[in-house]
Amino acid sequence: MLKAAEELELKRKALQVRRNILRLIKAGKAGHVGGALSMAEVLTALYFRVMKIDPARPDWPERDRLVVSAGHKALVLYAALAARGYFEEKLLDTYGSLGCRLPGHPDMHKLPGVEASTGALGHGLSIAGGMALGLRLSGLPSRVFVVMGDGELAEGSNWEAAAAAGHHKLENLVVIVDRNGLQISGPTVEVMTYEPLEERWKAFGWATRRMNGHDFGAILKTLGETPFERGKPSAIVADTVKSKGLPFAEGKVEYHYWKPPAEELAQAERDLAEIERTLG
Amino acid sequence: MKRGEMKDPRKTFGEAVLAQAEVDPRIVVLSADSSSGSGLSPFKKRFPERHLEFGIMEQGVIGFASGLATTGKVPFVAAIAPFVTSRPYEMVRNDVGYMRQNVKVVGRSAGLTYSDLGPTHQSIDDTALLRTIPGMVVMSPGDPVELVKAVKAAAEHVGPVYLRVGSPPIPVLYDAESDCPFQIGRGILLMDGKEVTLIGTGAALPRAFAAAETLRSQGIGVRLISLPTIKPLDRELLLAAARETGRIVTVEEHYVAGGMGSAVAELLARELPTPMRMVGVGDRFPPSGPYDEVLRDNGLQPDQIVATVREFLKA
Repeated sequence: MLKAAEELELKRKALQVRRNILRLIKAGKAGHVGGALSMAEVLTALYFRVMKIDPARPDWPERDRLVVSAGHKALVLYAALAARGYFEEKLLDTYGSLGCRLPGHPDMHKLPGVEASTGALGHGLSIAGGMALGLRLSGLPSRVFVVMGDGELAEGSNWEAAAAAGHHKLENLVVIVDRNGLQISGPTVEVMTYEPLEERWKAFGWATRRMNGHDFGAILKTLGETPFERGKPSAIVADTVKSKGLPFAEGKVEYHYWKPPAEELAQAERDLAEIERTLG
Repeated sequence: MKRGEMKDPRKTFGEAVLAQAEVDPRIVVLSADSSSGSGLSPFKKRFPERHLEFGIMEQGVIGFASGLATTGKVPFVAAIAPFVTSRPYEMVRNDVGYMRQNVKVVGRSAGLTYSDLGPTHQSIDDTALLRTIPGMVVMSPGDPVELVKAVKAAAEHVGPVYLRVGSPPIPVLYDAESDCPFQIGRGILLMDGKEVTLIGTGAALPRAFAAAETLRSQGIGVRLISLPTIKPLDRELLLAAARETGRIVTVEEHYVAGGMGSAVAELLARELPTPMRMVGVGDRFPPSGPYDEVLRDNGLQPDQIVATVREFLKA
């Protein structure tokens, strides 16, 4: 069981991550906000509790890795890396400027802690699978985590990678699917059928769980039980709310990409201040 | 290897990878159900734990190679050329090129090799596609000696490499290995002459060689250059050839659009505009049929190259 004090601490970190996301959007005047906010708790848990990392040594060979396959979630990745101390938070204010180190999709050569350059969908799982295989071949106990979007699962290349990870028994590989149920054209159920998601992953040789992607207790319990089965990669379907934390935008498809008018930006700041107030 | 000896380039490639793997434990081979056809069965037998099978997974295998490279491995991915180039192009561009990973993509049976299997299996756009990727070295060795040296150079080079290999048997063109000063980014002067320069690459090199011998016997001062690296180009060698002979003819089993000839033309247009002829496949899907006949259909037989050069000299 997660102690109340620990949970409060994590919630504060998640708030910091959300504030960083908003800071990025203010700097760049736009950004993929919805799918970034939906992953705030998951990335907070990974960077502050789950992954074996050292921000001072981003190239440490024995580190765990996170590949954000849905590269448009760059904002939450930058926000979490800054919060975890990979680089100074003031760098977030350069988002959107020419040649900045925080492009709209992450570039591994521009920032410490970014493990893969993603953006085109359906690439990250193969890359992460190769990392997991390479780490195992090198005899290292490190693990590889992958954050994927639900809409991204229409890309066939994911299922190539899923099959290979199952075939090669990549026990050190953990996928988290951000099941926020919305993609750019509308609700995922209208765009393409992805369910039954757990069964799909199981059919490819994975062990699966489903969790509430905003509940630290559930996230830490589920991640703490990986690998769910010996000799199998683990897939977690995280049920989430797109744009979580901004009630005016939550669950609304038009906030996939957000170019905030001044009044919405002010509202967003008030919403995050309200979260801070409830945390005490 | 003895001059004139015919070698199966896939077998030569597989032997070269194995030799390199003996001294470099970082090397791993990824197969998309393609190792045996790529001459890599001996590698699989010798290093089963370093041979990774993916089945016919021609997109995913490139991402896996990239991920493996991030952990310090040196992955070789070899398959029929279109299936590691045009099929997974975005994976090669993003996961290998943009991520600057130390992956060696090997397109074998490249060019018109699979003449009989038709345009789905011919690979005549791979050079065009891969040479647009920043940082990608594109190699196209034209004889077994060049091939062995290219594999070693690819393994030792830190960064992405595309290696283009044919599959019909090719003759050894060098008297001794020491006659082939292979280096990434360097062309090799095979015959000197002052009237016209013939440049061959890959599986087209032996036919360019034969054409050059004929031209020489006819008293034409032909300069013959082998270009086993298409990117980066050997700027000095090519500019000297343009300056000293005034005419350039390129020969390749590839579309004229975007191939080695295009790369040479881009250089010369910028630095020393020089009349050129480019022998290769035009803007069409070539017919399927016997290799020799498909080559003829595209003007790639030695007597046709000779005719192209002679007409060019009259022009």
